[in-house]
Amino acid sequence: MTTGALHVLFRVGDTDYVLPAGDVLQMESFDGATPVPGTAGYVAGLVQVRGRVVPVVDLRARFGLPPVAHTIDTRVVVVQSAERTVGLLVDSAREVVQLPPDALKPPPAVVASAGNGFVKAVAQTGKRLVMLIDFARVIGEQE
Amino acid sequence: MSLELQQFLAGYLAEVEEHLSSSTQKLNAIDASARGGQANPHAVRELFRSLHTIKGLSAMVGVEPVVALAHEMESLLRAADRAGGALSQEAVDAISDGVRAIERQVRAIAAGQEVPTAPAGLVERLAALQAMTPAPAASATTLLTLPADVAAKLSAAEQAQLAQGVATGKRAVRVDFVPTPSRAATGLNITTVRDRVGRVAELVKVYPVSLPKSDAAPGGLGFALIALYDGDDDALRDAAGADAVVPLSTAAAPAAVEAVEFESTRGGSRLVRVDVARLDDAMEKLSSLVVNRFRLTRAIAAMRESGTDVRALADIMNENGRQLRDLRAAIMRARMVPMAELLERIPLLVRGLERATGKRVNLTVDAGRAELDKAVAERLFPAIVHLVRNAVDHAIETPEERVRAGKPEIGRVEVTCWERGNNQLELTVSDDGRGVDRARVAARAGRAIADTPEALLEVLTAPGFSTRERASTTSGRGLGMDIVKRIAVDELGGELHLSTTPGGGTQFSVRVPLTITIVDAFSFLAGRQPFVVPVTMVEEIVEIEESKAVRGPQMARRGTQIRVYERRGEPVPIVALDELFAIPRVDELAPAKAMVVRRHGAPFAFAVHRMLGQQEVVVRPLEDPLVKVPGVTGSTDLGDGRATLVLDLWALSSQLAEARA
Repeated sequence: MTTGALHVLFRVGDTDYVLPAGDVLQMESFDGATPVPGTAGYVAGLVQVRGRVVPVVDLRARFGLPPVAHTIDTRVVVVQSAERTVGLLVDSAREVVQLPPDALKPPPAVVASAGNGFVKAVAQTGKRLVMLIDFARVIGEQE
Repeated sequence: MSLELQQFLAGYLAEVEEHLSSSTQKLNAIDASARGGQANPHAVRELFRSLHTIKGLSAMVGVEPVVALAHEMESLLRAADRAGGALSQEAVDAISDGVRAIERQVRAIAAGQEVPTAPAGLVERLAALQAMTPAPAASATTLLTLPADVAAKLSAAEQAQLAQGVATGKRAVRVDFVPTPSRAATGLNITTVRDRVGRVAELVKVYPVSLPKSDAAPGGLGFALIALYDGDDDALRDAAGADAVVPLSTAAAPAAVEAVEFESTRGGSRLVRVDVARLDDAMEKLSSLVVNRFRLTRAIAAMRESGTDVRALADIMNENGRQLRDLRAAIMRARMVPMAELLERIPLLVRGLERATGKRVNLTVDAGRAELDKAVAERLFPAIVHLVRNAVDHAIETPEERVRAGKPEIGRVEVTCWERGNNQLELTVSDDGRGVDRARVAARAGRAIADTPEALLEVLTAPGFSTRERASTTSGRGLGMDIVKRIAVDELGGELHLSTTPGGGTQFSVRVPLTITIVDAFSFLAGRQPFVVPVTMVEEIVEIEESKAVRGPQMARRGTQIRVYERRGEPVPIVALDELFAIPRVDELAPAKAMVVRRHGAPFAFAVHRMLGQQEVVVRPLEDPLVKVPGVTGSTDLGDGRATLVLDLWALSSQLAEARA
């Protein structure tokens, strides 16, 4: 029996990523965002989620992956950090996993550099290796 | 209504609204006094004046139904005033119905709809009550011995008011004021003196007194202000700028409380009424400061790139940024209205519901010191009315049911609000009624409902949902919860929560932002993407004639072409908005319309594909750095559930003009 903090698991490209479930406000299906001219290329635009206007970061673009057509699995994971609420556009998100604190390890050098510094830690859950995202860096708080 | 009068309409609506609000206040005061077995002649007279003003204004713009109703109410109040200011419970109820009816009529006028006539029987009810009002009782009004000259000027009701005031520990005083040109030059005239006395004392009557012409009284005219007052005479004289204060009755008030009383009432004298448009104008000027700041920031960045030491400037810019934010907050603050004022109509609403349903309710309203942007308050109010109405009509049980359930016979409804930390107002409406019956709601909705408050709320707020078999007169068929959700969540960008215990009670809480910005805006399509722009920014909308357009120099950034076309002999730079924003063009279709804006005297045109319409929109500012770009001020919902960008064409034109230079 595993105990530990709940994490939301989502997929971008061939990789599984996680974020603490406590930071995730909700997960919404995606039917397009309103583009905002003049923003960074990885900003997909704005979506309205339950009365709130939320900017969406396209994680494929943020991670330098080629764009793909959106499917019924595409999700917006709405994440709240200290003062900001930002949606992350991901290929799919359908699982919640428990990660004990000691399961999270510093990323190996090769992952860290391949992940452009967006990976804060890695963890093994079952047979899979999952990456803990550095949300602050993803939303541009520290370049 | 004639076209000529149409222009007075905005002023008419604003003024009538104010008098309606004051009427409600006075009715509450009269009602409270009546429950304590006391007359409140002062409030009756004030109410009379408000209705009289409403009648006069309505006659001016020709709204007959309002005139007719206000007239009957006014007559009833005049009769009551003559009879010493006492109003029966029936009369209070009838007048309160009348005020609500006028409110509905005025709302219809505001919405450009046909004005409904008064509810059947209301006019007759008012007339009957007037006939039943007792004739002035002479014996009751001679409790105070007044100087003959004063007594001669006062009606029986006014004398009764003085007598009653004296009985409660105040003193009757005469304040003398003689207007002179030098006083008028310092802003001191009978109107200002009347206002000042009215603020610190209860004004009963003001009448002119003829005086021998002299240097002290060049007009041969003075005024006597008869008032009830419990402070120090000198302080009253100084505060009012009057000549003398003459006691008419013996002092009864202890002297120790005067200073405090004075301090608290003086606060009122610092209030000014400001048209919201002026605040909007200040905000508008502020936004041009912000645009200027963008330019300054860019200029400094350019200096830094060329090797200049700009560290000192950076500090100043940081300070400047803070100051702009503070200024914005200060202007926003000036638009706030106290929640206590907004909620003062709720007691009357509940009283009406009690009568209509035969239920008994103990209402508590606690608005604390919370304040809300006037625009938010106006939009939120109907939602509050729905919630309170549901609480009384649906949630609170009949007295018999309550006794059977072992509850106090009188139900409890509480309306509470406070400001949350994050610039939000939280308002709760709670009751100790029967709670929401999940099984019944599920049966009614025809589907199972997950065992969470959110799932229940979702069903309750579905359009047209009702647990009632038949429509009731008060709440109608629907619960109106869909309206509450639309207002709180969709329109104001807030939240709605529910917690309910079967048999124990229900609480709805609404969270809304303290401020919103509402603008009258044009909506249009650039390519296929809709946008809106404030109407005030657009000088003109023109058709684009290809022949008049001249191809101009290519712009460096984004590869957008700025062309120039001629309008009434003036060259106007024009850019296609879809090109500027890199929106894919549909079938290579060229824009057909252009919006001309003018900044610092220079025109600039933005070509778009189609104008969609004009409407008032709620603008949500875009605060997140990811989407904070010049030219885009916020986002709105045009009703399709999607974010639509609100553009600042002035900022865009300044930016483009600079890039071109």
